[in-house]
Amino acid sequence: MPGKLFVRRRDGRVEVRLNDAGRTVIREAFAHVVAAERDPDHDWHLSLNAPINPSKDDDDPLSALARQNEIATNAELSIMTLKEQFLNDAEAWAWLSTLQVALRSIAVVNGILSDEKLESCEHELLEEIRTIQQLLFDLAACF
Amino acid sequence: MTSLKRLRSSSIESDVQRDVDTNVVVVTKRPWNVIVWNDPVTPMTVVVVVFKRIFGYSNNKCTHLMLTVHHEGRAVVWSGERERAESYCVKLQVAGLQSTVEQDA
Repeated sequence: MPGKLFVRRRDGRVEVRLNDAGRTVIREAFAHVVAAERDPDHDWHLSLNAPINPSKDDDDPLSALARQNEIATNAELSIMTLKEQFLNDAEAWAWLSTLQVALRSIAVVNGILSDEKLESCEHELLEEIRTIQQLLFDLAACF
Repeated sequence: MTSLKRLRSSSIESDVQRDVDTNVVVVTKRPWNVIVWNDPVTPMTVVVVVFKRIFGYSNNKCTHLMLTVHHEGRAVVWSGERERAESYCVKLQVAGLQSTVEQDA
Protein backbone atom coordinates (compact mmCIF):
# COMPACT_ATOMS: atom_id res chain seq x y z
CA MET A 1 0.00 0.00 0.00
CA PRO A 2 2.26 2.80 -1.18
CA GLY A 3 1.42 6.24 0.09
CA LYS A 4 -0.14 5.14 3.36
CA LEU A 5 1.34 6.87 6.38
CA PHE A 6 0.23 4.17 8.84
CA VAL A 7 -0.31 0.50 8.08
CA ARG A 8 -1.75 -2.21 10.35
CA ARG A 9 0.45 -5.29 10.06
CA ARG A 10 -0.67 -8.91 10.40
CA ASP A 11 0.96 -9.15 13.82
CA GLY A 12 -1.35 -6.36 15.06
CA ARG A 13 1.25 -3.62 15.22
CA VAL A 14 0.85 -0.34 13.39
CA GLU A 15 3.76 0.57 11.15
CA VAL A 16 4.62 4.27 11.08
CA ARG A 17 5.83 5.34 7.62
CA LEU A 18 6.54 8.98 8.38
CA ASN A 19 9.67 10.82 7.39
CA ASP A 20 11.38 13.40 9.59
CA ALA A 21 9.07 16.18 8.44
CA GLY A 22 6.00 14.08 9.26
CA ARG A 23 7.31 13.20 12.70
CA THR A 24 8.08 16.88 13.34
CA VAL A 25 4.45 17.81 12.64
CA ILE A 26 3.28 15.12 15.02
CA ARG A 27 5.82 15.99 17.70
CA GLU A 28 4.67 19.62 17.73
CA ALA A 29 1.02 18.60 18.04
CA PHE A 30 1.76 16.19 20.90
CA ALA A 31 3.98 18.72 22.68
CA HIS A 32 1.25 21.36 22.54
CA VAL A 33 -1.27 18.97 24.14
CA VAL A 34 1.12 18.14 27.00
CA ALA A 35 1.93 21.82 27.54
CA ALA A 36 -1.74 22.86 27.39
CA GLU A 37 -2.74 20.26 29.95
CA ARG A 38 -0.11 21.53 32.39
CA ASP A 39 -0.34 25.27 31.75
CA PRO A 40 -3.65 27.06 32.43
CA ASP A 41 -2.41 30.03 30.37
CA HIS A 42 -1.78 27.94 27.24
CA ASP A 43 -4.06 28.84 24.30
CA TRP A 44 -5.34 25.29 24.09
CA HIS A 45 -6.02 24.84 27.82
CA LEU A 46 -9.70 25.87 27.66
CA SER A 47 -10.44 23.59 24.73
CA LEU A 48 -9.10 20.65 26.76
CA ASN A 49 -11.45 21.53 29.61
CA ALA A 50 -14.78 21.82 27.82
CA PRO A 51 -17.89 21.37 29.99
CA ILE A 52 -19.17 17.84 30.53
CA ASN A 53 -22.60 18.88 31.81
CA PRO A 54 -23.31 22.42 30.56
CA SER A 55 -26.45 22.69 32.72
CA LYS A 56 -24.29 22.84 35.84
CA ASP A 57 -22.00 25.67 36.93
CA ASP A 58 -19.20 23.24 37.71
CA ASP A 59 -18.56 19.74 36.48
CA ASP A 60 -17.96 16.83 38.81
CA PRO A 61 -14.28 17.31 39.80
CA LEU A 62 -13.63 13.55 39.60
CA SER A 63 -14.80 13.43 35.98
CA ALA A 64 -12.71 16.49 35.13
CA LEU A 65 -9.68 14.95 36.82
CA ALA A 66 -10.19 11.65 35.00
CA ARG A 67 -10.28 13.51 31.69
CA GLN A 68 -7.16 15.50 32.53
CA ASN A 69 -5.27 12.34 33.52
CA GLU A 70 -6.30 10.41 30.42
CA ILE A 71 -5.46 13.21 27.99
CA ALA A 72 -2.09 13.75 29.68
CA THR A 73 -1.34 10.01 29.74
CA ASN A 74 -2.17 9.64 26.04
CA ALA A 75 -0.07 12.67 25.10
CA GLU A 76 2.92 11.53 27.17
CA LEU A 77 2.74 7.98 25.78
CA SER A 78 2.58 9.47 22.28
CA ILE A 79 5.70 11.55 22.88
CA MET A 80 7.56 8.59 24.37
CA THR A 81 6.82 6.51 21.26
CA LEU A 82 7.44 9.29 18.75
CA LYS A 83 10.52 7.69 17.20
CA GLU A 84 9.11 4.15 17.03
CA GLN A 85 8.64 2.47 13.69
CA PHE A 86 5.98 0.12 15.08
CA LEU A 87 3.24 0.93 17.60
CA ASN A 88 1.14 -1.52 19.55
CA ASP A 89 -2.63 -1.02 19.65
CA ALA A 90 -2.66 1.11 22.82
CA GLU A 91 0.13 3.33 21.54
CA ALA A 92 -1.58 3.80 18.19
CA TRP A 93 -4.82 4.68 19.99
CA ALA A 94 -2.93 7.24 22.10
CA TRP A 95 -1.54 8.79 18.91
CA LEU A 96 -5.00 8.96 17.33
CA SER A 97 -6.60 10.48 20.45
CA THR A 98 -3.84 13.04 20.96
CA LEU A 99 -3.77 14.08 17.30
CA GLN A 100 -7.56 14.49 17.33
CA VAL A 101 -7.38 16.55 20.56
CA ALA A 102 -4.74 18.73 18.89
CA LEU A 103 -6.83 19.15 15.73
CA ARG A 104 -9.92 20.23 17.66
CA SER A 105 -7.87 22.59 19.83
CA ILE A 106 -6.42 24.27 16.73
CA ALA A 107 -9.96 24.70 15.38
CA VAL A 108 -11.37 26.04 18.66
CA VAL A 109 -8.61 28.59 19.34
CA ASN A 110 -8.89 29.88 15.78
CA GLY A 111 -12.68 30.16 15.97
CA ILE A 112 -13.23 27.55 13.25
CA LEU A 113 -16.73 26.42 14.18
CA SER A 114 -18.27 26.04 10.72
CA ASP A 115 -17.37 24.74 7.26
CA GLU A 116 -17.45 28.29 5.88
CA LYS A 117 -15.02 29.47 8.54
CA LEU A 118 -12.71 26.55 7.77
CA GLU A 119 -12.63 27.30 4.05
CA SER A 120 -11.97 30.99 4.62
CA CYS A 121 -9.13 30.64 7.12
CA GLU A 122 -5.53 31.57 6.28
CA HIS A 123 -3.69 29.32 3.87
CA GLU A 124 -1.00 28.31 6.38
CA LEU A 125 -3.58 27.38 9.01
CA LEU A 126 -5.67 25.45 6.49
CA GLU A 127 -2.54 23.57 5.41
CA GLU A 128 -1.79 22.63 9.02
CA ILE A 129 -5.36 21.40 9.54
CA ARG A 130 -5.37 19.40 6.29
CA THR A 131 -2.06 17.76 7.21
CA ILE A 132 -3.35 16.61 10.60
CA GLN A 133 -6.62 15.46 9.03
CA GLN A 134 -4.66 13.32 6.54
CA LEU A 135 -2.60 11.79 9.35
CA LEU A 136 -5.79 11.04 11.28
CA PHE A 137 -7.49 9.61 8.21
CA ASP A 138 -4.67 7.15 7.61
CA LEU A 139 -4.31 6.26 11.28
CA ALA A 140 -8.08 5.73 11.73
CA ALA A 141 -7.99 3.23 8.85
CA CYS A 142 -5.82 0.99 11.06
CA PHE A 143 -8.66 0.50 13.60
CA MET B 1 -41.79 -30.67 52.00
CA THR B 2 -44.97 -29.79 53.81
CA SER B 3 -43.39 -26.77 55.38
CA LEU B 4 -42.02 -25.64 52.02
CA LYS B 5 -45.45 -25.88 50.52
CA ARG B 6 -46.85 -23.84 53.36
CA LEU B 7 -44.18 -21.25 52.88
CA ARG B 8 -44.78 -20.99 49.15
CA SER B 9 -48.51 -20.74 49.64
CA SER B 10 -48.28 -18.02 52.25
CA SER B 11 -45.77 -16.13 50.15
CA ILE B 12 -48.12 -16.07 47.17
CA GLU B 13 -51.00 -15.01 49.38
CA SER B 14 -49.01 -12.12 50.78
CA ASP B 15 -48.03 -11.04 47.26
CA VAL B 16 -51.65 -11.04 46.22
CA GLN B 17 -52.58 -9.13 49.34
CA ARG B 18 -49.91 -6.50 48.64
CA ASP B 19 -51.01 -6.11 45.02
CA VAL B 20 -54.53 -5.45 46.14
CA ASP B 21 -53.84 -3.23 49.13
CA THR B 22 -50.87 -1.11 48.08
CA ASN B 23 -51.05 1.96 45.94
CA VAL B 24 -47.78 1.70 44.08
CA VAL B 25 -46.48 4.91 42.59
CA VAL B 26 -44.05 4.23 39.78
CA VAL B 27 -41.45 6.93 39.36
CA THR B 28 -39.58 6.62 36.08
CA LYS B 29 -36.13 8.14 36.16
CA ARG B 30 -35.37 10.15 33.07
CA PRO B 31 -32.20 8.82 31.46
CA TRP B 32 -29.09 10.85 30.84
CA ASN B 33 -28.05 11.27 27.22
CA VAL B 34 -24.52 11.47 25.91
CA ILE B 35 -24.49 13.97 23.05
CA VAL B 36 -21.80 14.27 20.38
CA TRP B 37 -21.68 17.59 18.54
CA ASN B 38 -20.62 18.27 14.97
CA ASP B 39 -17.45 20.19 14.21
CA PRO B 40 -15.97 21.17 10.86
CA VAL B 41 -12.54 19.58 11.22
CA THR B 42 -12.90 16.03 12.58
CA PRO B 43 -12.64 13.40 9.82
CA MET B 44 -15.74 11.18 9.57
CA THR B 45 -13.68 8.01 9.79
CA VAL B 46 -12.27 9.16 13.13
CA VAL B 47 -15.77 9.61 14.54
CA VAL B 48 -16.76 6.09 13.45
CA VAL B 49 -13.59 4.56 14.90
CA VAL B 50 -14.05 6.35 18.23
CA PHE B 51 -17.68 5.18 18.54
CA LYS B 52 -16.63 1.61 17.79
CA ARG B 53 -13.80 1.70 20.28
CA ILE B 54 -15.74 3.31 23.14
CA PHE B 55 -19.20 1.77 22.77
CA GLY B 56 -18.45 -1.41 20.80
CA TYR B 57 -21.29 -0.64 18.40
CA SER B 58 -21.50 -2.28 14.97
CA ASN B 59 -19.97 -0.54 11.98
CA ASN B 60 -23.43 0.27 10.62
CA LYS B 61 -24.62 1.82 13.87
CA CYS B 62 -21.44 3.88 14.21
CA THR B 63 -21.76 5.14 10.64
CA HIS B 64 -25.44 5.98 11.18
CA LEU B 65 -24.61 7.94 14.35
CA MET B 66 -21.74 9.74 12.64
CA LEU B 67 -24.03 10.79 9.77
CA THR B 68 -26.65 12.00 12.27
CA VAL B 69 -23.99 14.17 13.92
CA HIS B 70 -22.88 15.44 10.51
CA HIS B 71 -26.35 16.28 9.16
CA GLU B 72 -28.22 17.30 12.31
CA GLY B 73 -25.37 18.89 14.24
CA ARG B 74 -25.64 16.45 17.14
CA ALA B 75 -26.61 12.89 18.03
CA VAL B 76 -27.52 11.00 21.18
CA VAL B 77 -24.94 8.23 21.20
CA TRP B 78 -25.81 6.60 24.53
CA SER B 79 -28.56 6.86 27.19
CA GLY B 80 -28.73 5.56 30.73
CA GLU B 81 -27.44 6.20 34.24
CA ARG B 82 -25.88 9.56 34.93
CA GLU B 83 -22.53 8.23 36.17
CA ARG B 84 -22.03 6.05 33.11
CA ALA B 85 -23.13 8.87 30.83
CA GLU B 86 -20.51 11.19 32.35
CA SER B 87 -17.89 8.47 32.09
CA TYR B 88 -18.64 7.92 28.38
CA CYS B 89 -18.66 11.69 27.82
CA VAL B 90 -15.18 11.95 29.34
CA LYS B 91 -13.93 9.09 27.15
CA LEU B 92 -15.26 10.84 24.04
CA GLN B 93 -13.62 14.11 25.08
CA VAL B 94 -10.33 12.31 25.74
CA ALA B 95 -10.59 10.98 22.18
CA GLY B 96 -11.04 14.55 20.98
CA LEU B 97 -14.75 14.62 20.17
CA GLN B 98 -17.00 17.43 21.37
CA SER B 99 -19.39 15.79 23.79
CA THR B 100 -21.72 16.69 26.66
CA VAL B 101 -24.34 15.03 28.87
CA GLU B 102 -27.92 16.15 29.41
CA GLN B 103 -30.96 14.66 31.04
CA ASP B 104 -33.63 13.39 28.68
CA ALA B 105 -36.43 15.95 28.25
